[in-house]
Amino acid sequence: MKQAALKVNRTREPHLGERAFPRLMLAPTLIVMLVLTAYPLLFTFFYSFTDYHYLKHAHKAADFIQLENYIELFGNGYFRQAVMNTVKFTLLAVVFEMVIGLFIAVFINSLKRGQKVMRTLLLLPYLLPAVTVALSWRMMLSSNYGIVNQLFETLGLPVFNWFMDTKTAFGTVLLIDIWQNVPFVFLLLYASLQSVSESQYEAARIDGAGVIQQFWYVTIPNIKNGLALCALLRTIDTFRLFEKVNILTGGGPAGTTSTITQYLYNYGIRNMEFGFGSAGAIVMTLMVLILSSVYIKRAIQ
Amino acid sequence: MKKLFALILTLAMVLSLAACGGKEEKPAETPSETPAETPAAEPTKLTLILRGGTYGDVIKAALPAFEAEHNVKCEVLDLSFDDLHTKIALNAPNPKGEYDLCMVDGSWMAEFTENGVLANLSDMGYEIDDDIIPATATIGQVDGSTYLAPYFGNVTVLLYNKQLLADAGYAIEDVDTMEDLMDIAQKTNAAGKMGYLVRGGSGDNIVSDFIPHLLAYGGWVVDENNMPTVTTDEFKAAFQNYIELYKLGDTMDKDDIVAAIDGGNAALGLGWPGWYVPTADGAADYTVMPGKLNDADSAKKTSMQGVWTIGICENSQNKELTLELLKYLMDPEVQKESVELGGVPCRYSSLLDEEVLAKYPHLEQVCGALETGVYRPVIAEWAEFTNILGTEMDAVIQGVKDMDTGLADAQAALEDLLS
Repeated sequence: MKQAALKVNRTREPHLGERAFPRLMLAPTLIVMLVLTAYPLLFTFFYSFTDYHYLKHAHKAADFIQLENYIELFGNGYFRQAVMNTVKFTLLAVVFEMVIGLFIAVFINSLKRGQKVMRTLLLLPYLLPAVTVALSWRMMLSSNYGIVNQLFETLGLPVFNWFMDTKTAFGTVLLIDIWQNVPFVFLLLYASLQSVSESQYEAARIDGAGVIQQFWYVTIPNIKNGLALCALLRTIDTFRLFEKVNILTGGGPAGTTSTITQYLYNYGIRNMEFGFGSAGAIVMTLMVLILSSVYIKRAIQ
Repeated sequence: MKKLFALILTLAMVLSLAACGGKEEKPAETPSETPAETPAAEPTKLTLILRGGTYGDVIKAALPAFEAEHNVKCEVLDLSFDDLHTKIALNAPNPKGEYDLCMVDGSWMAEFTENGVLANLSDMGYEIDDDIIPATATIGQVDGSTYLAPYFGNVTVLLYNKQLLADAGYAIEDVDTMEDLMDIAQKTNAAGKMGYLVRGGSGDNIVSDFIPHLLAYGGWVVDENNMPTVTTDEFKAAFQNYIELYKLGDTMDKDDIVAAIDGGNAALGLGWPGWYVPTADGAADYTVMPGKLNDADSAKKTSMQGVWTIGICENSQNKELTLELLKYLMDPEVQKESVELGGVPCRYSSLLDEEVLAKYPHLEQVCGALETGVYRPVIAEWAEFTNILGTEMDAVIQGVKDMDTGLADAQAALEDLLS
């Protein structure tokens, strides 16, 4: 009798209140997403087909110019250079940050004592605002009064005009970005490592696995989700690199450090050419989506 | 019960979200014309949006006296060049503006007046007086109406290190041709120091740094119809000379240029009075950029005006009171006092005052440069213009492109922009 009643309960259709309840709970999130994400995205998409200038079109409608902004964008050699720089920068930065961050995380995780102190100290660069980081490094790498060049001179090494030389500017900005963001990777991977059971390592050791084999067959499979998430977040963030480039090099010398955001700021936002800037923003969003597609596809599945 | 609680919670979240965007009701502004009659009243708030550094600092130092006299509280925003432009522009279309007094670079004038960003000061009863150097006032005027008052006399000057100049066998009075500059740079470079520093960074920096050289060669960036002229013989000759000077030194940002010249690592470079305040016992000083190519050449105007002006936002909610503030800041006595803090007024009475000159003799040079200074072209697209030209010039300087290709590319892109 009791079983029959349960069966009836399991098979009956949920009533209206039960169906509406989950949707109601989702409503605030949906509203927030619509207002803060969907609307700006649609707005940007729409304006990317217009000649919208913030000042000129303050009181009159912008003209619909179809694909002109996109044609101009892809026809511009400096935009193509900015795209190449951004992709190159993102790949190099993410790879180095992941490798160094993972190495530090594994090392700190293996420490018997002093983990908390090391963890706190390592996090410091990430806690600083990008603007502060850029200004501090600019002072340290100044070709006149910078401590780095002074140290090089003392050691008899050649000195450089770090941010104004085409040979060094890109690498210097890359190095600063890696320095600041390695702690983020470290923190995420360190958290993942904490969840790996010690018994798995014990079992591996009993089976005769060495340090490298333990790392490859135990550590990596256990933290692969953390690695993927970390790579995705770093890719998205690095792709939007702006403050450091804007403060340190302004995209120069000769466009060697120009990124997509820097280009859009210079040629779109700074000139109030929001239509053109919107086209660039759409292109950039699509590129980030493509780069992140592997992870997103996996998450959906 | 649980569902009811969840429903209430959901509604509360939605309402709180809606409330986040709610507009705060502000009390009506105190009539600005009669603040003196109601001294006990809440002070009126004025918001000043200024260029950071010495330019804004001298204004901030002058504010307390005005605040006390007019029962006003001034809030000041110190911003970088680009941020200042962006914030003024973004505020412009709002019916009720956030800012009252704004500091404006002369090169933004065309864009701002074309789009109604600034209030017409002439209509409000303000006129430029005879004490103001006429050449500094013209940039703020359109069709006989004044929109901006010249506040800080920024004009390009030649920064030099006194010792390195002497080591090269020159007294500053003798440096009057571009050949002299090259000679000093070569001798300094041969002695193991940097001869001449060019400014790197944004396109605007590069173009502004180059224009005085171009003027010395008799060239200009646009013709009488405001179409680009960056492939002319004069432009190429000036640019070639500029690149040769660069090869005898380096490219740096503003702070490094000042530090290198003041520190005795470099002999020459172009700068602005707001960057450096020379003193009698200081290592560096500045003078007017040479106007002749050689001794046989006739002198040309080579100083480029970069006067920082002040104006009133068209959508200011306190226009009358802001006008009082503008008049106060432009007062000869207030301006003279600003010299002590590094200010460079655009007034004869301040720059040529005997007491001032005894302490700051370089201001006589600045006064001369301000009288003869040339403005950047008054075109609304100037920011884009400098972006394009500066980027191409940078590519040539860095050896990424040859000069003919770089300048031809710039010319084509600029023609496209201005047509």
